[in-house]
Amino acid sequence: MFKEFVEKKRYSFHEGFDDWRDAIKAACAPLIADGTCEQLYVNEIIKKVEELGPYIVIAPNICIPHAQEGLGVHDTAICFMKTEKPVHFDPNDPEKDARLFFVLASVNNAVHMENLMAMSEACSNEDFVAKLLEVKTPEELATMDKVREEMGD
Amino acid sequence: MAKLKVIAACGSGMGSSQIIKMKLEKVFKKLGLDAEIYHTNVGDAKSQANNYDVVFCSESLVSTFGKTTATVIGLKNLLSEQEMTTKVQEKIIDANK
Repeated sequence: MFKEFVEKKRYSFHEGFDDWRDAIKAACAPLIADGTCEQLYVNEIIKKVEELGPYIVIAPNICIPHAQEGLGVHDTAICFMKTEKPVHFDPNDPEKDARLFFVLASVNNAVHMENLMAMSEACSNEDFVAKLLEVKTPEELATMDKVREEMGD
Repeated sequence: MAKLKVIAACGSGMGSSQIIKMKLEKVFKKLGLDAEIYHTNVGDAKSQANNYDVVFCSESLVSTFGKTTATVIGLKNLLSEQEMTTKVQEKIIDANK
């Protein structure tokens, strides 16, 4: 998964964002650039969070921006972004801060489920998440599949 | 205990709800609970909640459910099997004793 992020140029590294909306836009930028999705999909992700709250922050530091299947989406993909400073989704709840973003786009549920499973299995290990938070370059990012493998459960 | 009817809900029905479903299947198996789990978006979950025993969703979505006969369980960390196990034990197993 991580090697694929680098090979397909579906990743970005940033210092931080004052507004979570800008963070989501930046996280989605590689998918717009390669035609995986349209701006419409990004707007939809933001709209849903405004409507329902930061439900896309699924664990401390981990956020999975996504919206409905097919809406402005042309391919099934997952795209990575890391920020050095935490992005605040709820000013009153530091548990809703995120630094690792996995944008999900789907037109094919089987492939989407594989992506989702790989991502959630990898990030269920807190020691691995700690290591991922240390990654600063695409070269390091590409080695993370191996790092995860060597860690076991 | 009879077979549990469970909804895993999230904003769109395609991200976190599927993660919840995946993790719940593991937790239920470990605890020896028989359950069918349906994943969907909050709007659909809300309209169907009364036909189910339990709804699992992200903590930030709990308030959208309002009054329902189902037990609504909010999760802080969707990737933590430990949190899920504790909540299933407390709110489903112990509550039905």
